[in-house]
Amino acid sequence: MSRFIIPKHLEVPLGACLPAPVKEQPGMITGNWRTERPVIDHEACTTCLNCFIYCPDACWHLDEKTEQMVWNADYCKGCMICVNECPANCLSTVNELEFPDGVVRLEKPF
Amino acid sequence: MSQEVYEVTIWARGVFQDMEGRHATLLMANAADLGGKFVQAWDDYADLPDRVGVPLRKYVRLADEEIEMRFVYVNNNPSLVVLMDDTIVKGMNILRGMPQGGSLVVNTKRTPDEILAFIPNKELLANIVCVDASGLAADTAIDFMGSEGGVEVAAVGAGISAPLVGAAAKVCDRFTIENVVKVASNKSAAQAGFDAAQVKAL
Repeated sequence: MSRFIIPKHLEVPLGACLPAPVKEQPGMITGNWRTERPVIDHEACTTCLNCFIYCPDACWHLDEKTEQMVWNADYCKGCMICVNECPANCLSTVNELEFPDGVVRLEKPF
Repeated sequence: MSQEVYEVTIWARGVFQDMEGRHATLLMANAADLGGKFVQAWDDYADLPDRVGVPLRKYVRLADEEIEMRFVYVNNNPSLVVLMDDTIVKGMNILRGMPQGGSLVVNTKRTPDEILAFIPNKELLANIVCVDASGLAADTAIDFMGSEGGVEVAAVGAGISAPLVGAAAKVCDRFTIENVVKVASNKSAAQAGFDAAQVKAL
């Protein structure tokens, strides 16, 4: 029987990252807070994952097949922290009404 | 016999438009009050305290008789909807509960057709008014006193609320532009909003 023997100093600590059972919470949609949205230029993007790290709502993730960052329109509040933190300057701020998509039409604000 | 009450809902963005939205309700109510109407103006209780960018509701009621809608703190059937920010059309069903033949006033640089493209239930509207209120009046400071029970410190109608309510006077017959100009502190912006408003009848 083969067995991994992990050296004590390489053991995974408590609180390791596990795949979440639910990745979105439809009862807490915040996409309608947004007046402007970040638009990515995939040519200039270096996939440094700064946007993924800094996004308070986890709206950026790396699609491993295409190796491109993917943005979630339903939960992005338009805080533009990602635009501020992008070291490659590949994110730009564009007004929301320029796009027909990303409509989150709720009946009540809360 | 049910009373005829004209209901107005004003949508504003949280924190940075909270004061201007409140001032728009006050302007509309004060202008109608000068014209001899019975008025009510208040903020939605559930929307406050607000967070930055959250869509907020502010309400006005105008009637010829004393308003007897006790213990009803939301306008369920607004005949006039005012948007302080045009991007709210994508985020909310703004015409919810509107009776047939309502009006919509939007603060936008865009044309009425561009706004109507984002409204699926636009058959409820009789007309839409677009005015670039942010271009006609400067943004004022943010002040929370009025929404937290204090006395209004900033001058009512100094910012974008004056041209928006001025534009609303073009489609609403319950208050006149003369009375809006009387109660607004930025009188030229209120008149400019009335003059610059693009009305599109549907």
